[in-house]
Amino acid sequence: MKMDITEDEGVVKVGLVGRLDTPGVDAIETRLTGAVCPRGARTVVDLSGVEFIGSLGLRMFITIARTLSRRNGKMILYAPQPFVAQVLETASLGDIIPVRPDAASAVAAAKA
Amino acid sequence: MAGAAPDSSRRFDLHLAATREGFAAGFDELRRGLDTLQLDPRARFSVELVFEEVVANLVRHGARSDGRTTLSLQVVLRDDSVQLTFLDDGVEFDPRERPDPAPAQDLEHAETGGRGLLLIRSVCTGLEYVRTPEGRNRLTVSVSREMRQPGRK
Repeated sequence: MKMDITEDEGVVKVGLVGRLDTPGVDAIETRLTGAVCPRGARTVVDLSGVEFIGSLGLRMFITIARTLSRRNGKMILYAPQPFVAQVLETASLGDIIPVRPDAASAVAAAKA
Repeated sequence: MAGAAPDSSRRFDLHLAATREGFAAGFDELRRGLDTLQLDPRARFSVELVFEEVVANLVRHGARSDGRTTLSLQVVLRDDSVQLTFLDDGVEFDPRERPDPAPAQDLEHAETGGRGLLLIRSVCTGLEYVRTPEGRNRLTVSVSREMRQPGRK
């Protein structure tokens, strides 16, 4: 699991490439949490390179998004691949964490 | 199992320790096995999703405290489905009895976990559980090979 974190105009961009299965979540969760949660960052997460996600990946996003929300930050997910989007839909994740089709709309939602 | 025994090109078996290390190695082995079956991409994703959720649950909640819990998996390619039979010697667990999490009203009150079975149910066409006389959990999950899954969503 590869993760790239950058920041532009007050928005933290997280690029993920690989599989958000249990080993994948184990590989990134601590670093991702540490990068965005302490400062309540406005965060967008690029899912276009994520080819798999399971319930542990959903749990990670919910936990981080909730922490961010409590610190006046937010998390927006964007550009999931079709099978990953199906998992997000099945779990109704979009009801609690915004999912946008592309980077521009995700950044706009993060800044709103 | 009904019918003639499947030939080796249509099935494979794997064994793993119910630990995080065993999980990672088992997942690699599963993917190599699935490469030989040449599944439709959606069916393959579904099989991997079932494996992820069943094994993650065992490692996190079902493994015995002595660290020696093991799991075996048989994957059989049938004409219209892929059948996965998990056999483990962990804590007794019948997934059919577990309800899905309540729909989240908002982020603050959303349950963080409990979605694994929901995901399994969404991609499977059959879910059978037996606690064997030897004290093992045997879970059989069927996943359709068709492009359209008959899950709930």
